[in-house]
Amino acid sequence: MGYALRIEDLHKSFKTDLLRRRIEILKGVSLTVTEGEIFGYLGPNGAGKTTTMKCLLGLIFPDRGRIEMRGRSHLNPDARDRIGFLPENPYFYDYLTAREFLRFYAQLHGLKKSGVETKISGLIRLVNLERSADLQLRKYSKGMLQRIGLAQALLNDPELVLMDEPLGGLDPLGRKEIRDIIVRLREEGKTVFLSSHILQDIEMVCDRVAVIADGRVISQGSLHELISRKTFFTEVTVSGLDRRELEAYGRCLTNPGGEIMVQIEGPERVDRLLERIKSSEARLHSLVPRTENLEEHFVGMIQAK
Amino acid sequence: MTIRAIAVNTFREAIRDRILYLLLFFAVTAMIFSRLLALLTVGDRVKIIVDVGMGSLALFGTLMAILMGTGLVYKEIDKKTIYTLLSKPIQRWQFLLGKFFGLILTLAIMMAAMSLIFLLLVLAHAGRPTWDMLAGLAFIFLELGLITAVALFFSCFSTPILSSIFTLSFYLIGHLSWGLETLIAKLRPGAGRAAVQIVYTLLPDLENFNFKTEIVHHLPIALPVMGSALLYGLLYTAFVLAAAILVFRRRDFL
Amino acid sequence: MKQKHVAVFLLLVSLAGLAGMKRLLDRLPRESVPGSSIIYIPSGRHLKTFSFGFSSLLADAVYLWAIQYFSDQRIRDRFDYLDHVFGIIAELDPAYIDPYMTGAIFAAYDARDLETGYQILDRGLENNPDQWIFPFQAGHYAQMLARDFTRARAYFARAMEIPGAPAFTRRLYANAFYELDDFRAALTHWLEIYKQAEAAGDDRVLQIASNHIYKNKAAIDKEALEAAVGEYRDRFGRLPAALSDLTKSGILEQEPRDLDGDAYSYNPETGEVTSKLWWKR
Repeated sequence: MGYALRIEDLHKSFKTDLLRRRIEILKGVSLTVTEGEIFGYLGPNGAGKTTTMKCLLGLIFPDRGRIEMRGRSHLNPDARDRIGFLPENPYFYDYLTAREFLRFYAQLHGLKKSGVETKISGLIRLVNLERSADLQLRKYSKGMLQRIGLAQALLNDPELVLMDEPLGGLDPLGRKEIRDIIVRLREEGKTVFLSSHILQDIEMVCDRVAVIADGRVISQGSLHELISRKTFFTEVTVSGLDRRELEAYGRCLTNPGGEIMVQIEGPERVDRLLERIKSSEARLHSLVPRTENLEEHFVGMIQAK
Repeated sequence: MTIRAIAVNTFREAIRDRILYLLLFFAVTAMIFSRLLALLTVGDRVKIIVDVGMGSLALFGTLMAILMGTGLVYKEIDKKTIYTLLSKPIQRWQFLLGKFFGLILTLAIMMAAMSLIFLLLVLAHAGRPTWDMLAGLAFIFLELGLITAVALFFSCFSTPILSSIFTLSFYLIGHLSWGLETLIAKLRPGAGRAAVQIVYTLLPDLENFNFKTEIVHHLPIALPVMGSALLYGLLYTAFVLAAAILVFRRRDFL
Repeated sequence: MKQKHVAVFLLLVSLAGLAGMKRLLDRLPRESVPGSSIIYIPSGRHLKTFSFGFSSLLADAVYLWAIQYFSDQRIRDRFDYLDHVFGIIAELDPAYIDPYMTGAIFAAYDARDLETGYQILDRGLENNPDQWIFPFQAGHYAQMLARDFTRARAYFARAMEIPGAPAFTRRLYANAFYELDDFRAALTHWLEIYKQAEAAGDDRVLQIASNHIYKNKAAIDKEALEAAVGEYRDRFGRLPAALSDLTKSGILEQEPRDLDGDAYSYNPETGEVTSKLWWKR
């Protein structure tokens, strides 16, 4: 299993027009993506996520650094044949229909005419645009454009799929659909590299993540590694026991229904309470271990910078 | 192949541009207006219809070339359609050439329409379209091709307005370089004169494609002249496209 | 980067190629009708409308072109539209002085068409009534090239009235009367000039004026004397022996003397009267 993507010490700065002041966007980005995984690239807006992606695609030429895709330079023409790209806020030739548009891009991939129509129909079905396939793209909603964007990214059956904010601007149903497609891509053996600033989605699909802030990757690794699975405390919601008794276990909160929620630190105490509940006529309503989530981790990291 | 696919797509996009039809309308109007001009002048009627007709064809064709050439690439960059396009396994030069040929195709259609109307107008005034006339029209088209390449070149790194101004300047310089020739004749030989001569040789001489005088006065156009002018036009176009390719290669798309 | 090398190569090759073609094209002769494009430019009025505010610049351009055009010996019929072209320049920029002058020069000397020259200069004066040079130049041409003193006189009269005209315009005007044999009028004008010079203390002009006054008086006297001689001959069948005979016979009351008080010379054989200064004919 090699690396699908390896970025080493990427630097990029821009001149702001005539003023000749250089703004450094990427100050040494390094990360590696293993084959077959879903990799999340997160960071606040302006951190350099899109710039990094554009470097990967040869839309921007970095000042310094190396980019390798499966061991070869990313500018190698073969490399781009194995990539699919879904940009943020995609916009396409609005007078074409979805089908015509996909046909055009299929030509750019040099796909053989014979299998193209089936392939296009398959993709349209995959992204759920069958009903609008022959509608002009100018009539597409943002979500629909995003989906056709995904379809064109998958035209050449790429090994590496790059997505810039793929879930932005979608309703919850749309987000779920895209998330499912992403997971499916992994099942097909593809590698997915997606950038986002919506953490819940990243949490749900990604295997590994890199956090970029202010032009640098400040943290990288699997979700397991990054987020301490340590249980901080457990929230147990009980009824039928006296509050004063429960206060011995931890902080108590009475909620409107009459049940009492206790924040208990330490698994031994949780066990003792459970025993107590079992041996009495009290009822256990819920038991929720509270761990750190990605958002807290992320915010903590950013604030630490 | 890739270039063809992009060319066809460019053509389909360009031919929908309403500006083209507006300019076409003006061109036709100008040609018909030449009839009126013919009444006001001290000269042969058919002459003025041919001259003004071909002149307006050239003028409006040039405007079309400039507006389309500067608009299309900029639009792709502005609307970001270029991101997905260039992320495909195509080379940037293929993109440029595809755009160029798509524009040429669009211009060809427009020119054919204008030429048809022009020739009908000539017929209607008891003139006779000659082979030389068709050759003159063909050379106008060659000039338009060169201008398109120049417009495309500028739009690789500049905004549409600036690109239009630069391209228009190219056109004006191209038709006024005889002035430089006169100047050279009056300079004393030396480094200064040599420098001006180099500049003069490299500056576009679009008058080489202008056969209006010969056509209007029924003078023969010598074959070596036509052949050389054709070669000149093709070489200059190649030069501009090569420059555009080089400029476009390393452009960052922010 | 192989691709870059290909593009640079193509760039250089096409550059060399186009330079070569350009040089070739410049050397190839092209049939042309020099100046043909101007044959049907409508009147300047229309041109001005289409010049979008750059009419004086356009006038400059047309003028520069015109100089080259009218100097081109190869174009045999180039003067057919001389007035037309300079009329256009005048329409575009009526206050542009040089073209009127140049156009008139072309007309007078190259085209040998004085009428056109006059026309151009008249137009110049019409558009610029404060420019004495136009009628002055016209008078000059009339006088020098056509010896048309009637016209010259009219032009000098016009020029004289314009402030700034040189003083000698007046003298040219006066002289024109002399050339037209209107000695009395000439004398009147020269006397005025004399008075002005006296008042101004201008000795040189004083001298000039007095010479002309002498000349004109002499001419008047000569006319009178020769007329008297003729009458004498009619009466007596022979020429008088001396001028004194004219007074003796009562034909003349008085023998006119020249300005210096000297007598005129008389040739009894031919009946001709001459004066000291021998300027006329």
